[in-house]
Amino acid sequence: MIRPYFAVLVTAAVLAAASGPAAPQGDYDPMAAARGSPALPGAAPLAGQTSAQEGDPEFGNLPPGPGMEDTYYQCVACHSTAIIRQQHLTDARWDYLWTWMVEEQGMQETEPEVKDAILAYLKTHFSSER
Amino acid sequence: MTGDTARIDTDTDELHLSDEGTLNAGRRRFLRNTSLSTLGAMVGMTIPFEARMPAGLIPVAAAQGMEEDLMAAKEGLVLLGDRPINAETPAHLLDDDVTPYEHMFVRNNGLVPDSALDMDAEGWTLTIDGEVDDPLELSIADLQERFETVTVRLVVECGGNGRAYFQPGASGNQWTTGAVGCPEWTGVRLADVLSAAGVKDSAVYTGHYGNDVHLSGDPEKEVISRGVPIDKALEDDGAIIAWAMNGEPVPALHGFPLRLIVPGYPGSASQKYLTRIWVRDQQHDGSKMTGYSYRLPAYPVAPGTEVPEEDMVVMETMPVKSLVTFPQSGTSVAAGTASEVRGHAWSGKGDVAAVDVSTDFGATWQPATLEPAPNKYAWQRWRADVTLPEAGYYEVWARATDMDGTMQPPVVPGWNPRGYGNNMQHRIALIAS
Repeated sequence: MIRPYFAVLVTAAVLAAASGPAAPQGDYDPMAAARGSPALPGAAPLAGQTSAQEGDPEFGNLPPGPGMEDTYYQCVACHSTAIIRQQHLTDARWDYLWTWMVEEQGMQETEPEVKDAILAYLKTHFSSER
Repeated sequence: MTGDTARIDTDTDELHLSDEGTLNAGRRRFLRNTSLSTLGAMVGMTIPFEARMPAGLIPVAAAQGMEEDLMAAKEGLVLLGDRPINAETPAHLLDDDVTPYEHMFVRNNGLVPDSALDMDAEGWTLTIDGEVDDPLELSIADLQERFETVTVRLVVECGGNGRAYFQPGASGNQWTTGAVGCPEWTGVRLADVLSAAGVKDSAVYTGHYGNDVHLSGDPEKEVISRGVPIDKALEDDGAIIAWAMNGEPVPALHGFPLRLIVPGYPGSASQKYLTRIWVRDQQHDGSKMTGYSYRLPAYPVAPGTEVPEEDMVVMETMPVKSLVTFPQSGTSVAAGTASEVRGHAWSGKGDVAAVDVSTDFGATWQPATLEPAPNKYAWQRWRADVTLPEAGYYEVWARATDMDGTMQPPVVPGWNPRGYGNNMQHRIALIAS
């Protein structure tokens, strides 16, 4: 029995392709998250993968868009973009994280308009709401 | 090849150094000789790190290089982040009873300290102070001479293992199932050391400190300082202060030279690079003890709820859980013939009572054989023979039950803002042909 539906869900290919049978349905990973982490099989893509959301290698593979550069320079002072690109959060959680980064993690507060641009970018691209 | 994950593959890596003792020399050579553009090739990763590294951040890149050099001895892990380094292990690479170094997940809140990068424990001391009669300052030799040495297999699991499945998402590394392992640890019982210091009646909680480096680079900032209730710290056959993992010095990525292991609690309680245990007269309030970190809502909430901070309570005992570690998801087996499936089961409470498996999406279940734990808080091997009646797509679901009769749920349990405690049943694809 072949289920074409599963064949299009090319998941876990990095891990599964090297071993096991070539049966298309064997590529389906029941534990692939529906969406969210770019680091996850079956999730939104990282750079190197053909996609409308392909990231900009000059800016840590963040997806291009207004606020990308500000976001990059603000965030990579402490951590790489890998953690950003995994997120799919509510707007309220992004607002909380900004405060947490400033108050608990030593992030430098920015001009209000820069903060607004960065949060708008994060809420646009790494959201569970849109 | 989707290119969406970093595969750490060291088969052809010239820098691959399996001997812990030579890692340091290897790293120094690496720093002298390596240009940024070749970093990815040098560590055998397919992820284009060099593209992420702006020229203005060379010192950071160098720091990354040192840690990534250590990652070269990891095999098959999925890299979630490169600064800090976080990587999880695919389920089929966790089949060993004792998790080997190369398959042990990496969860770092900060940067690996120089003392660990250099594997230099010279002058290292562990301070026990606070609500104790006689504060102690112990060298590693003191620990080894004054207290009974124990060697035990203890599960270490990140509190956020399974976070990837929460919807809406929860912030943090999007672990799927692989932020868990069960190495063999050698050290002394935390209870023995605390008792030697004389725990006062006023003791309520422990506070743990290490010397890892905050991501901001600020040497005054704590990376993470968590603790446990004093009763948990004093539990018989519970926490240990370890200097060895699998018979070798605790590796740099895992807490060299001393690491607390508090089994049954979120891995963050198992402080790496351990320098101090402060016995507190109140719940510890160190970094990542407060706010939403390692905390759960005090009451059940709908997914996406903004829970007030004051309604968050510290996450303690980890839930019952299991993994299918053999075969690898997607494997083909013969229809109509018994096929072995196996894995591990564990619980934050200690031993697991039962494991059942289903091959029909949870409609019916069959019991697996479950081996006794070699010691409390080790994971337990389970095995079952499953027969798939006809050719087609099946899933093997595993469900562990703890000693209180509590089972793993088939779906993501209680949503919480930071995505902790997801013990949903693990599932693999099994193809009958």
